[in-house]
Amino acid sequence: MLLLIPLLPFVGFLLNASFGRRISKAAAGAIACGSMLASFGVSTIAVWRLVGLPPESRALAQTVLRWITSGDFDVSFTLRVDPLSALMILVVTGIGSLIHIYSTAYMHEERDSEYARYFSYLNLFAAFMLVLVLGSNFLVMFVGWEGVGLCSYLLIGFWYQKESAADAGKKAFIVNRIGDFGFILGMLLAFVRFGTLDFQEIARSVAALRPETTFGTLSALTLLLFVGATGKSAQIPLHVWLPDAMEGPTPVSALIHAATMVTAGVYMIGRNAVLFGHAPHTLTIVAIIGTATALMAGTIGLVQNDIKRVLAYSTVSQLGYMFLAMGVGAYTAGIFHLFTHAFFKALLFLGSGAVIHALAGEQDLRRMGGLKRELPITYWTFFTGALAIAGVPLLAGFFSKDEILYRTFAGGHLWLWTVGLLTSLLTATYMFRVVFLAFHGERAGEHPAPSTEHPAPSTQRHLHDAPPAMALALIVLAAGSVLAGYVGVPRAVGGSNRIEQFLAPSFGEVRLKPDATNDARAALLQPGQERQEEAASATEGLERGLMGVSSAIALGGIGIAWFFFLKKKRAADEMAVRFAGVHRVLANKYYVDEMYEAAVVQPIRIASDEGLWNGVDVRVIDGAVNGVGGLVGGSSSALRRIQTGSVRLYAVSVMLGVVVILGYYVWR
Amino acid sequence: MGQAIAFYTLAAFILGFAVLVVTTKDTVHSVLFLVLDFLFVAALYVLLDAPFLAVIQVLVYAGGIVVLYLFVVMLVNLKRPPEAHHDPHRRTKLGLFLAVAVLLELGAIAVYQTTRPVLSVPGAPMPVTGNTEQVGWLLYTSYLIPFEIASMLLLVAMIGAIVLAKREL
Amino acid sequence: MPPGISTSDFYYILPELVLTGGALLVLIADVLLPRGSKALAWVTLLAIGATIASLVPFGSTHVEVAHGLLAVDQFALFFKIVFLGAAALTVLMSVRYLEIEGASPGEYYFLILCATLGMMIMAGGIDLLTIFIGLETMAVSFYILAGFIKPNQRSNEAAVKYFLLGAFSLGILLYGMSIMYGLSGTTNLRTMATAFVGQERDPRLVLAVILVVAGLGFKIAAVPFHMWAPDVYEGAPTPVTAFLSVGSKAASFAMLLRIFLEGLPSMSADWRLMFEVLAIVTMTIGNLAALTQTNIKRMLAYSSIAHAGYILIGVVAGTPRGVAAMLIYLLIYAFMQLGAFTIIIIMRRQDVVGDELKDFSGLHIRHPFAAFAMLLFMLSLGGIPPTAGFMGKFWLFGAAIDAGYVRLAVIGVLNSAISLYYYIRLVVFMYLKPQGAGSPVTTSPSLGIALAVAVIGTIFLGVYPRLLFDLAEMSARTLGVAAVTAAIR
Repeated sequence: MLLLIPLLPFVGFLLNASFGRRISKAAAGAIACGSMLASFGVSTIAVWRLVGLPPESRALAQTVLRWITSGDFDVSFTLRVDPLSALMILVVTGIGSLIHIYSTAYMHEERDSEYARYFSYLNLFAAFMLVLVLGSNFLVMFVGWEGVGLCSYLLIGFWYQKESAADAGKKAFIVNRIGDFGFILGMLLAFVRFGTLDFQEIARSVAALRPETTFGTLSALTLLLFVGATGKSAQIPLHVWLPDAMEGPTPVSALIHAATMVTAGVYMIGRNAVLFGHAPHTLTIVAIIGTATALMAGTIGLVQNDIKRVLAYSTVSQLGYMFLAMGVGAYTAGIFHLFTHAFFKALLFLGSGAVIHALAGEQDLRRMGGLKRELPITYWTFFTGALAIAGVPLLAGFFSKDEILYRTFAGGHLWLWTVGLLTSLLTATYMFRVVFLAFHGERAGEHPAPSTEHPAPSTQRHLHDAPPAMALALIVLAAGSVLAGYVGVPRAVGGSNRIEQFLAPSFGEVRLKPDATNDARAALLQPGQERQEEAASATEGLERGLMGVSSAIALGGIGIAWFFFLKKKRAADEMAVRFAGVHRVLANKYYVDEMYEAAVVQPIRIASDEGLWNGVDVRVIDGAVNGVGGLVGGSSSALRRIQTGSVRLYAVSVMLGVVVILGYYVWR
Repeated sequence: MGQAIAFYTLAAFILGFAVLVVTTKDTVHSVLFLVLDFLFVAALYVLLDAPFLAVIQVLVYAGGIVVLYLFVVMLVNLKRPPEAHHDPHRRTKLGLFLAVAVLLELGAIAVYQTTRPVLSVPGAPMPVTGNTEQVGWLLYTSYLIPFEIASMLLLVAMIGAIVLAKREL
Repeated sequence: MPPGISTSDFYYILPELVLTGGALLVLIADVLLPRGSKALAWVTLLAIGATIASLVPFGSTHVEVAHGLLAVDQFALFFKIVFLGAAALTVLMSVRYLEIEGASPGEYYFLILCATLGMMIMAGGIDLLTIFIGLETMAVSFYILAGFIKPNQRSNEAAVKYFLLGAFSLGILLYGMSIMYGLSGTTNLRTMATAFVGQERDPRLVLAVILVVAGLGFKIAAVPFHMWAPDVYEGAPTPVTAFLSVGSKAASFAMLLRIFLEGLPSMSADWRLMFEVLAIVTMTIGNLAALTQTNIKRMLAYSSIAHAGYILIGVVAGTPRGVAAMLIYLLIYAFMQLGAFTIIIIMRRQDVVGDELKDFSGLHIRHPFAAFAMLLFMLSLGGIPPTAGFMGKFWLFGAAIDAGYVRLAVIGVLNSAISLYYYIRLVVFMYLKPQGAGSPVTTSPSLGIALAVAVIGTIFLGVYPRLLFDLAEMSARTLGVAAVTAAIR
């Protein structure tokens, strides 16, 4: 049955890819949405059955085929649902379905063939994402990992007529390659170290070890895996691709670059919680990188003018939060935030999509304003999402974000907590900056939309609110953004933190074989968990106090936004002038792209110009420059001459090879 | 001792002519030096007590192949000087360098070798004395299969020559 | 004096005899059949099919034929299947191509079969003499095939270059072989192996090893002996390039394994070191050079160089698992490489040469299936799961780690990450660029079959590789590797 979950979207992909050009838009959309909804249905049934099992044995597995077998090495294509992946498949299929439905309206202006192509990629993405989260070992996960990357790449460049879109796709691809390199090496190292790639088996063998006190194999291997995670989840220093990825259609940004794929890195760490738990050095790095990313992206988000870019930096920032949670060992909190974030970030993206749709492709916040009256549904849902992400009490984001901050504080990471709190202030501010600039105030006047996202026939038409399909998705997600947090109400305020209980087995308390000694050891080796238990009972007061602080911070952030961007708009400009230097740095995203240009691209280019490599048949440098810059173009005639060079030169190369090898032996 | 003297004399001639083959400007002269070279190699075979091979060497290489070369040289008329290059000795220098390097390395190996015992191989087989009958016997019995494959090889070469030479189908 | 040949020897070389007969039949049929008949391709396929059928009785044979000139074992069998399969696909690819280029098919198919015959001899040979004659048969066939399209300047140039450099490298190889013979007094590899035990420090033997490495390095296009490959691959007729890059490479690897694992196991410390360096350099240079190519055939040439580097990892490992990984990789490589070339041939139309990157622009609109197939081949070449290419790489790198060469695995992974860049660039052109010019892209029945086989192979071996793994491991064991590993450890 588990196989059906990824298989249904895959069938949808096959149908749309093969017949998409011959069927109507309605049919193509129906196939895509139908397959996703069916997959959601199957997922629900699977999770229902999972919940029916006793907590200590909550895992369903299905071996599709025994993939590679050789001697003692055995990798199967096995799908497994445990609490963690159960949560993930619900998010992927549930939010995925909504976004598919939303897309039927959003992409309606595309040509038939393009429409079908869009949905086939989207379905393929869903299939790979489900393989990623359901995979029971690294290899199956890697299938999904690479597959979602490919789909993301194709979807970012979906409007390939736009040069920037194709470039953004390429950039995403190159940056992700660096991450994947780490991931594969980590995987190989895990294979060498444990002789298996199965998550449960690795966790079991790791549980028998003591946590590494020095930087050893486990630290190296987890760090390599984390490199993979930084690539996929856009963390420093590999975060540069995600903002550019906004060149893709907005529903894609919502599904892939906010709700699901980019959280794969977080999920991967959660999946290997026991492994990472035994590498405290790596965890420290994870926490620091996560916090730094959260802060950096939050500050950049403050000054961006493209509505989607603000949301993109917000995503990077929130992902940083999740990594912070992972880094301090609060796995549940991290996954909880992943869960709630999927709702409100998808909502915010879809809301921004509705705005862009209504304004015929306008994405610049400075040219919006006063949309509240004309787009009521969009406004209210967007507003809900903004409240949720800002961490206003009683909404989803509040519970999850608070959980992370509380755990950070309780774990003694005071500095990280402070930065986290500051970021939370920034979050509230930049989100409400968007709300106020776009929906409140006065419209900044009509401009012919330069963007190509929706080449509308006329710019002077009446603004219409989201069509039914889009509205449906927005309303459901808004409801989710309000309610999703209630699965994890902390005990301190009278909740029972169901999600923590539910997820706990996935993070190391899985005891497939009830074995007394093993249990005792596992309990001993979960100091974080133990500590949390104690802290939870002993310091409920502290938790309530911290909740108060973060509530105040959230409201304060909204207040700041209100003051600067609604009440006294000039103040914002004055601030920008007064702190021109800071503003420039932020507007230029800390010059990270420029740094890459200067540190990587330019030196290679200079080296090639100096002619160090003349005489080598390969266009090494040319290639590297073009490769990094993503500008592979014409061939240089000089090198072509060398390549079709004379036979004698080739013979010389052969002889040279012989001489060098011989020389080595004579010398020795 | 006498055999050694004969060998080194022949070897010196072979090497000398080989150098002349590649250094002579005139192509026809070059081919003629090649004939001489082949003849001395044939002499080497005689020295190794393989008269049949020596005769074949003279017949096939010195006789057949070189005559073919001469025909080609005369037909194509390579008298015209090589294309000008701003540094006509560039390639030659590189080649010379490589040749010297290889020679030095081989020399080093030879020197190193003399300090080591000569490799004695257990049961070195096939005491072929090189007479015609024995060669024929071997070719048609033990080495029949490679011999037959070689005939296929010649067929391929023949077809190839036809393919490359014919103008139209 | 060794006694003569026995009739049973002819029984064991039945597949070779059938193939030779088939080749001659093609020559005769060329004269008898009306000009321009496509039946000739089917005669060729029939010959290949008959040869494959004649391999059946030797499924579990393990004998030496004609006093140690040829071995009939599963190792050879595995390679023979690869060669014959590749030859069959090549023939399927060639039908329309020859028509467009206006070349005469009779000699062409004959030469393809002769090249295959040479490869089979190379894989079976356990005697330097046999191996060398097999190599020559294959090489001479390819020299002519590379220049088969006579009106095409590039094709001529490719043939001349390949011939001159091939002869040059053959000289080096032969020099090495003659030293091996001189030192051991035998050309039989297995006898040689025993003669060389305890002679590891003999500098003359080291010299022989170096020369043979260089000669074979040329054949498998390992850096720095690779420079001929891009020019020849680009210039030669596309189906020939496909066959050259798959068949010739596989045969040379078979020969390499025979010579080093069967003939020179005692020298393994030396040749392992050489191959390790060659593997690293070859992978890296091949991939970096491929990055900027705008001609697909040239890009695939560099990619094929890089793949030779990957495969060399298996030689360095030298374990049965490493050899098995090489066999697996060579078979998988045959499917994906031939598939990619099939697409290039599909792109060849009357008005378009179709081997430039820009010719692939917007292929997913013109011919969605071809674009999808190419996407699959590119992902497979780049080693993305769940395609076959990933399995091959996984196995190779796994074998390297198993044998203690973690660094090789790391460099291999790094290289496959780099390589994805240029493979995906083609995908960008197919999926993310507006349509290119020229007449519509169509397939012919034979091209369709070739493509389908390649696609199915690439997917099937990725999803269900176990069968192949078992086969390859079984074949690798018959190489007498067990004795080798014992000698190494």
